[in-house]
Amino acid sequence: MPLQLFKCDEVIPERKKHCYIKMPGEDISDYLPSSNVETIPGTLSERGCSYCGAKLVIGGVLKDTIQMIHGPVGCAYDTWHTKRYTSDNDNFQLKYVWSSDLKEGHIVFGGEKQLKKSIVEAFAEMPHIKRMYIYTTCGTALIGDDPKAVARDVEKELGDVDIFVVECPGFAGVSQSKGHHVLNIAWMNEKVGTVEPEITSDYTINFIGDYNIQGDTFVLEKYFKRLGIQIVGHFTGNATYDQCRSMHRAKLSVVNCSRSAGYIANELKKKYGIPRLDIDTWGFDYTMAGLRKVGIFFGIEDKVEELVAEEMAKYKPKIEWYKERLQGKKMAIWTGGPRLWHWTKAVEDDLGMEVVAMSSKFGHQEDFEKVISRGREGTIYIDDGNELEFFEVLDMVKPDVIFTGPRVGELVKKLHIPYINGHAYHNGPYMGFEGFANMARDMYNATNSPLMKLAANDIRVG
Amino acid sequence: MTCMVKQKDRTGIINPMYNCQPAGAQYACIGITDCIPLVHGGQGCSMFVRLLFAQHFKENFDIASSSIHESAAVFGGLVRAEDAVDTMLKRYPDLKVIPIITTCSTEIIGDDIDGLVGKMRRSIKKNFPDREVHLIPVHTPSFKGSHVSGYNEAMTALVTTLAKKGKPNGKLNLITGWVNPGDVTEFKYILKEMGVEANVLMDTESFDSPTMPGKDAFSFGSTTVEDIIDSANAVGTIALNRYEGAAAAEYLRDELEVPAVIGPTPIGISNTDKFIKNISLMTGKAVPDSLAIERGKAIDALADLAHMFFADKRVAIFGNPDLVIALAEFCLEVELKPVLLLLGDDNKAYQKDPRLKQLEKNIDFDMEVIWNADLWVLEKKIKDKEIEVDLIMGHSKGRYVAIDNKIPMVRVGFPTFDRAGIYRQPVVGYRGAVYLGETIANTLFADMEFKKDREWILNTW
Repeated sequence: MPLQLFKCDEVIPERKKHCYIKMPGEDISDYLPSSNVETIPGTLSERGCSYCGAKLVIGGVLKDTIQMIHGPVGCAYDTWHTKRYTSDNDNFQLKYVWSSDLKEGHIVFGGEKQLKKSIVEAFAEMPHIKRMYIYTTCGTALIGDDPKAVARDVEKELGDVDIFVVECPGFAGVSQSKGHHVLNIAWMNEKVGTVEPEITSDYTINFIGDYNIQGDTFVLEKYFKRLGIQIVGHFTGNATYDQCRSMHRAKLSVVNCSRSAGYIANELKKKYGIPRLDIDTWGFDYTMAGLRKVGIFFGIEDKVEELVAEEMAKYKPKIEWYKERLQGKKMAIWTGGPRLWHWTKAVEDDLGMEVVAMSSKFGHQEDFEKVISRGREGTIYIDDGNELEFFEVLDMVKPDVIFTGPRVGELVKKLHIPYINGHAYHNGPYMGFEGFANMARDMYNATNSPLMKLAANDIRVG
Repeated sequence: MTCMVKQKDRTGIINPMYNCQPAGAQYACIGITDCIPLVHGGQGCSMFVRLLFAQHFKENFDIASSSIHESAAVFGGLVRAEDAVDTMLKRYPDLKVIPIITTCSTEIIGDDIDGLVGKMRRSIKKNFPDREVHLIPVHTPSFKGSHVSGYNEAMTALVTTLAKKGKPNGKLNLITGWVNPGDVTEFKYILKEMGVEANVLMDTESFDSPTMPGKDAFSFGSTTVEDIIDSANAVGTIALNRYEGAAAAEYLRDELEVPAVIGPTPIGISNTDKFIKNISLMTGKAVPDSLAIERGKAIDALADLAHMFFADKRVAIFGNPDLVIALAEFCLEVELKPVLLLLGDDNKAYQKDPRLKQLEKNIDFDMEVIWNADLWVLEKKIKDKEIEVDLIMGHSKGRYVAIDNKIPMVRVGFPTFDRAGIYRQPVVGYRGAVYLGETIANTLFADMEFKKDREWILNTW
């Protein structure tokens, strides 16, 4: 079936280009949804902004770095107490947020002095912290403040600090995606290669595109440690600022989230000749395949097989137990983009589930190529889905569980459909062998909730 | 004894206490039936705020964005707002009210939303002749004030745009300020006991929506556009919070001759007494026995706690200004010592708030009030041992200050996402006083058990 115009979209027919239902015998290149294009105003699209893609998603994960948000207070407030990326230093990155608190006078006369004062104060208040990211926001980009000049100035004055600037106003690009891009490229151009790491192994990698949601990074670190592989730069799960400056010294870039961080992997390849290896770190079989590829690259296949055998023994029975019970259940995934293609085949192979509808907030064409290649026939593939479309899709495919954000989860609860937090997880981590068993457990518990069955009974009838 | 009022001494913010103006405007507007606010700005300005409401209420609220992109930033964004309104009206047939809320970006580029509203009113008449549609310009640049003033701005914009003189309706306008659904339930209970019909702005009781067999219940506000229009015809207005909605009451008083009473925020016994007396004065209705009994129950419950557990306990309070000040007043009633009050934005008026002067008269200890404060002020004072507190009262974004410093904390205000069901509990009225007092006590009790601090005392109090 070609692209699909939903009933709720009849008045905005351009949405047809963004919705595809895969049918047998079709050449998917004829029907790739249009993606990464302007949002239609007033649709209740799920999209966020470029600043979010930079600060909240990537930069804010760093565990030793002040996140100075140059703008009015809201952008700081809004990106605080919303994430679940932990760290091994008591979660500094979750506890604090900084704003230059721009006021009307600064909008009129410029905010650079205010920014400088705020930076100096921030370092003075927390003297053990020596690293900082500065982000522009809508307001400070429009008035043309030069935060880079301010940063150089402060670096010179204080001597022992290092500051990185990301220019990512919310209106740049069309979604979070632009913020990923800008941060990646600027980091590569300005900071990679400025610190020489201590190399402790013959096998060194960067792990790129993993943000330690509920401790995903800790699971992966455990595997690589066991294999004797040194992670030079983790971009950016549980990482320090300086680790990420030394990414040029790794022999291999292993990439999970190619959407948000494929850029830096590509640049590392171009500039330093570091090969890029894309793997899936969600999914039982995928994790196995990914580790085997890394093993082959370094010629340590035996070690990988040992690890795999041990993890299989521990978690395969659990996965099988859940597979028996989840077999044939229908699932929808409404998240950012990459998890669509990471998960659709993984839950099918490992758990026997069918992913019947997927929506990506900010995926690009390559994300749709991936997900449609891996995804099922009869499944709905949506770019930049909006709320009314979600209701219509639910009517069409009747999923047993939805992986999405908490707000949408609360909405579909009213329709008696359980949700799992597809962004920040219910009870993670979800990566690796143990993570996929966690994910299966949460799905099992969600789809077996007695409450959703009780909700259907009308006490007034019969 | 002194009550020192001063501004925080840093320039920047570490751990903001409040969100920005547009967030507050969005909060006021989701209280209206058949309303979807349109946030004119970048997409994060609405998405993050929808998430914030989901954190506090565990519900979805519909808010649209005009999705400002680069071209709009350069060439103006009005066409985006116009398209947005058009798309919303076409896709939501029951939609009646669209507040158009500005943000920092669209205020800076100078989009003329008032002009747009004028223009669109004409085009809507032509394109949707059978529809009743209200567009309301709400100016909320985020480089001024906070979500508190943004809430106030939106309430004012709604009333000034919509309220219209007609037949007297015999009702009382109750402008609640930024409260929880549980508070609204309590207001309605008090009004019902008094036999008073009221126009509640905003009636958010229905935010706490059920999951129903028919799958047809969702969260939305219950104040209708007719209620707001009709606010011009009330016998009077009681605006409970000085910084959240009082300006709307003043407009109704000054322009439409609806008498107005501002305050008090009815937290604690004597503030609730004044509130009930005000209703009585404005409507001529007597105070019923039921409320006197409710009051007596509250005093009875609090008297078990006050000098036994609360006396001399030192409290730090942060949150929206009316809430903080009223909580401090409540603390004094139950012998708690509110030694530090944090008010979180740049409103100079706090310095002259008569309630702070009154507090100063009533205290036998030193109290500090810091305005334009952030939550780092609290953390630093505690870490540097500048103050010692036995209890923190505030919203969930301050949770780590309490956790890391092992200080018991009671969640009040907005947002309170790290405890279940807080939105359902009242802090106002006599029943709110009981809830507050007992929650404080139970929090202290759990802390005593956890720290093995005279936990054996909790037997025959």
